[in-house]
Amino acid sequence: MNKDLDKKVPLLEVRDLETAFKIDGQYHNAVDKVSFTVDRGKIVGVVGESGCGKSVMSLSIMKLLPKGAGEILGGEVIFDGKNIEHLSEKEMNKIRGKDISMIFQEPMTSLNPVFTIGYQIEEVLHNHFNISKQDARNQSIKLLKSVGISRAEQVVNEYPHQLSGGMRQRVMIAMAIACQPKLLIADEPTTALDVTVQAQILDLLKDVQSVNDMAIILITHDLGVVAEICDEVIVMYAGEIVERSDVRSLFKNPKHPYTQQLMNSIPKLDAEEEKLGSIKGIVPSLKEMPRVGCKFANRCPKAMPECTEITPVLAEDEKGHEVSCLLFEASKTEEGTKIT
Amino acid sequence: MEVLTEKNTKQTPSKPPKSMSPWAIARRKFVRNKLAMVSSFFLLTVMIMSFLAPYITTIDITRVNIGQMSLPPSGEHWLGTDKSGRDVFVRLLYGGRVSLTVGIAATALIVVFGTVIGSIAGYFGGVVDSVLMRFTDFILNFPFLVFVIVLNAILFGKLSGVWVLIVVISVLGWGGVARLVRSKILSEKENEYILAAISIGCKPSKVIIKHLLPNVLSTIIVQATILFATMIVAESGLSYLGFGVPTEVPSWGNMLSTSRDPDVMQNMPWTWIPPAVVLTLTILSINFIGEGIKDALNPKSYR
Repeated sequence: MNKDLDKKVPLLEVRDLETAFKIDGQYHNAVDKVSFTVDRGKIVGVVGESGCGKSVMSLSIMKLLPKGAGEILGGEVIFDGKNIEHLSEKEMNKIRGKDISMIFQEPMTSLNPVFTIGYQIEEVLHNHFNISKQDARNQSIKLLKSVGISRAEQVVNEYPHQLSGGMRQRVMIAMAIACQPKLLIADEPTTALDVTVQAQILDLLKDVQSVNDMAIILITHDLGVVAEICDEVIVMYAGEIVERSDVRSLFKNPKHPYTQQLMNSIPKLDAEEEKLGSIKGIVPSLKEMPRVGCKFANRCPKAMPECTEITPVLAEDEKGHEVSCLLFEASKTEEGTKIT
Repeated sequence: MEVLTEKNTKQTPSKPPKSMSPWAIARRKFVRNKLAMVSSFFLLTVMIMSFLAPYITTIDITRVNIGQMSLPPSGEHWLGTDKSGRDVFVRLLYGGRVSLTVGIAATALIVVFGTVIGSIAGYFGGVVDSVLMRFTDFILNFPFLVFVIVLNAILFGKLSGVWVLIVVISVLGWGGVARLVRSKILSEKENEYILAAISIGCKPSKVIIKHLLPNVLSTIIVQATILFATMIVAESGLSYLGFGVPTEVPSWGNMLSTSRDPDVMQNMPWTWIPPAVVLTLTILSINFIGEGIKDALNPKSYR
């Protein structure tokens, strides 16, 4: 009964999140009014080129933005029915690592070189539970085994420099799931690893997710990874969500020209063209970002004159596939035209 | 040859794979450094002899013996006596005690103070950083000698002489350490494991003490050894000029200051050569130890 109720309320709801960087006294939005929800037990992929605001968004959710670099200007982050955007640092510390945890891109640098693996896993446990040293040690061995490290009893006494990249990422995952969080944010967890290890880590993430019934936000620029394990996909461009749908419908029918171009740039075995597709140009820097119109317009092959005049909005079609592009009537709203 | 290699290959796998902490690896490297080991041995000997001086000799250092003034080295007085008839060897031991105490205490105070200020400034950044660093600049700009003379005059008689000197040197000396620690923390905190530590719910104090400081400790230790030598030199220099340890207390600097008298300089070399030699060797060995530690803690050096 209770579970049904839980299922209806999304685990994480982000509303109009705005994170900006101050450059020469002016605010420039790196994350621009992003709204989305994450349901319990779902894996949501966030894709986009480098510089699209994916990482800044995830750091904003955890309130981990480094001081002086990036400020949350507005919006709400509602986690498990609680608005966590206004929590103090102290209260936030109780949530971090316990209810929401994070895996980082670089397994080589995300473990502290002067402590043993066991010590670092136990630290999470000691931070959030009143647990004895022996229990914590047993628990950390169990965790290491659950992420597929066979010599767990030895590894707890080893230092990060003695492990390979893949093993370190496994340790990071063990740390992240130590307190059985409800949400795991994985910021490009496989980018720094080689392809075979990538597949193993993705499998592991999926296993861990189904065992603990947690939700994962998987940030990546690899559409292959998304296709493999995600339930839902959010495509981000220049700090905005341009398309959002379930995985099947996105891969079958990508609507936004940006998504289409991203898919074109994946090498295909059966493709006849010799050249791999690429998207012309780069993501404009924060200072050059157009304030009116579609931000992708200058790189878009299907750009129309009105694209630089009307700002499209994210609109849903009947199947729940959301897209923000003027090629679709729904994106042209009063709101958009008013700005011009 | 062949036998030897065979033996080696056989021996290595039989050893159980033992995890060495970064500190254990550094210790092993340090022990292999001959110069550093000899220096450590020398420094340790000097320290032990100085601090155990009251047990080694029973001669009263303050007693003036007019009957035995200015005697050259002999069986009774190994290094002779000075102009007041005091035994030079005994004074050398007691002098080491004072000089080393000043060095150790001042270094400890400076390192603690500098590390606290530097790590807070580096970690929190922003306004905290600006305020603390401007304060550090202010301290670094103080004219050292003038301040020492003034403070010595103010505190004279209220605190025992040696401790006045220690406090004065430390109060003025922590700026460099604070800057160094701040810069190391600034670069170290950019590492992802710090973000990871925050993301598992560590408080700022815990991040600084448990995650950042152990990673900058190597720099602090090396800096501390160099400081130790500098502080001994500072004590000697000030005492030589007459602004350091009160003259009735023997210290290496005070012993050297007697050589300001041309007569002593020319005709009584046994009163000033020993402290000069011991001082030089001590500082040299501290610097060698510092170099050794630096090498040992540097993961890129293989000795």
